[in-house]
Amino acid sequence: MTGVAAWLMVSLALGVIVVRRRSLAVALVTIQALVLAITALGQSPSTNETIAAAALALRAVVLAGFFWLLVRRTRESRPVRAGAAPLARAGVATGLALALVWLVPELGLESRDTQRAVLTIVAIGLATVATRNATLFQVLGIVLVENALALAALGLPGDSSLVIELGVTLDLALLTVVAGVFHERIFAEFGAGDAAQLRSLRD
Amino acid sequence: MTLRSYGACVTSLELLAVATVALPTGVAIALAIAPTRTLRRLALVGGVATAALGAALAVAVLASPGKPAVGDWLVVDAAGGILVATIAAVGLGSVVVSPEYLAAASTSVVRSTRAARTYWAVLFAFWAVLLAVPLAGNLGAAWVLVEATTATSALLVGFSGRRRALEAGWKYLILTSLGLGIALLGVVVLAASGTVGGLDALAWTSLAEADLDESTTLVAYVLILAGLAAKAGWAPVHNWLPDAHSEAPPPVSALLSAALLPAVALVAWRSQHALAPTLGARTSQTVLIGFGLASLAVAVPFLWRALAWKRLLAYSSLEHMGVVAVGIGFGSRLALAGVAIHVVGHGLAKALGFYAAGPLLRHDPRAGAHAASGVGRSSPRLAVTLGVALGSLAALPPSPLFVSEVLVVAGGFSAGRPWAAAATAGLLAFGFLGLAHALIETLVGKSRGRARVVDVTTGTLTSMCAITLAGLLALTAVGFVLADSAVVDALMRGLG
Repeated sequence: MTGVAAWLMVSLALGVIVVRRRSLAVALVTIQALVLAITALGQSPSTNETIAAAALALRAVVLAGFFWLLVRRTRESRPVRAGAAPLARAGVATGLALALVWLVPELGLESRDTQRAVLTIVAIGLATVATRNATLFQVLGIVLVENALALAALGLPGDSSLVIELGVTLDLALLTVVAGVFHERIFAEFGAGDAAQLRSLRD
Repeated sequence: MTLRSYGACVTSLELLAVATVALPTGVAIALAIAPTRTLRRLALVGGVATAALGAALAVAVLASPGKPAVGDWLVVDAAGGILVATIAAVGLGSVVVSPEYLAAASTSVVRSTRAARTYWAVLFAFWAVLLAVPLAGNLGAAWVLVEATTATSALLVGFSGRRRALEAGWKYLILTSLGLGIALLGVVVLAASGTVGGLDALAWTSLAEADLDESTTLVAYVLILAGLAAKAGWAPVHNWLPDAHSEAPPPVSALLSAALLPAVALVAWRSQHALAPTLGARTSQTVLIGFGLASLAVAVPFLWRALAWKRLLAYSSLEHMGVVAVGIGFGSRLALAGVAIHVVGHGLAKALGFYAAGPLLRHDPRAGAHAASGVGRSSPRLAVTLGVALGSLAALPPSPLFVSEVLVVAGGFSAGRPWAAAATAGLLAFGFLGLAHALIETLVGKSRGRARVVDVTTGTLTSMCAITLAGLLALTAVGFVLADSAVVDALMRGLG
């Protein structure tokens, strides 16, 4: 794992939280997932890691196609207004990332750069879900968190378990499909994929 | 992966466990492709067969609780047996009442021509994954299965496709996915902190024996528990629970509350057991007690409010999961006996309560948004069902939940945690008063429903009420002797 790849993934994640257009955010997440797959492929010559890299690449392509389809099928007349301005969103993500990096002790990943990148992307994913009202952006926030965890799994010492990695990949794909179904239905029912409108259930 | 798991020495217990998960999986696939006219019959036959296998597995393991089958990927032990029995029973109940729900459902999240097929296939997939969770022998596999329950059940939560159901389903999907993302970070941290490294070292038995760094393990444990808490419905990360339980179809609400929540709590308990040698039992248990007391404290004020029936049951789930967390946190013989009784008793009573929600709405459509009132005057048979469910959940003697709560509190004192035990007792007393008030209002309060007596119950619901009542009373009797039994010996020993 090179520091360049890890920080490239962080930059792409930062792009997701600040951009307005859903299609651009989907492209950034897809590039991030492909960087992850290439990193996995280049890291270890073992069969398990090669299969894991192939699964990551396949996931990246399938999710990209699925998100692209969702964007096309649910065209918004104008972008859903986010809960905060782009700079504020980036600020929230940066603050959360700094807090996580400061609070979490050495994890034993292969490099400190990898650990910092993982925690930063997790923070950006959480901030994306918290500060973006567009339902598609909230799903992308979850994908960012999962990409960060896949990056962490690649940074583990020793061989990882292929069954579990494939299980995580399959789970994420299933989850994304279900989220896509909800996104479409919310769009059809409310006229926009806007989570700000989902506030009727309160006690 | 042990040779025993896949080689010639696979035990009958392991085979039974695999069959218990494989059968509903197969039925789910069959339901996805079978002719429409056969769906209901196939689901009922598959449901009975799955429940029979689950019951057989539970009987087999609880008959010899001292001889669990423990592998790197599969465990069949007393705790798993109790959960499998509960999930099997609640799953069968949900299958039996589902045709009634589908017949009355006017909208769905998918096209109406595919609604029944999608519902049945996803319901069985959800049930299969639920049955697999208590049998997972590995923290990583358990995480994958718990995450899979989100993917399958979220669609069911929003199945009606109505605005409120979509909102509940979306919240459930996003919040629990984020929570499980945090738990996965904990799993990765744990995998990195071992000297062996890699995710294969995450088997429950390997974790208990591993040479782990204490401070990193503590961070991992807190992350795992915080993530699982979001799924188990423990406060303060329970926000999805009241919405999802109240908006999901009643058979699904029953599975969510009576099966999913305790299954995730079991994963949390196994994590605590596995990491206790590194963290110390007291430290690891204190985190669970904290979640439990927080859940009780958050739930009790809502139990005092006049809430719609399903929403009241949802907050009662929060309360009862708090009891489970406190009980496994105390970790003494009495407390674990209490937890075992509590999981089964809560499962039976809560499922019955949710199954009665359909007839209640037919009786009084306003009960979907307002507290039920005076049902005893206008629909006595329905009132009996509501009374059995709510009386049991309120822990009104002779409910098994009364016995279990007494055991948990006594277990807290015997574990040397008098303050936590006293706080639990106080919160449970307030919770009892709130639910007792709701029970009185529901049965003999001012009737808002029909002026004349109308019987809205079905033979199915009446039979279920009778079976549940018999089961609850039997459980109460078991509660008096369980603490000295070999089952609790096995729970105390864990997988060691």
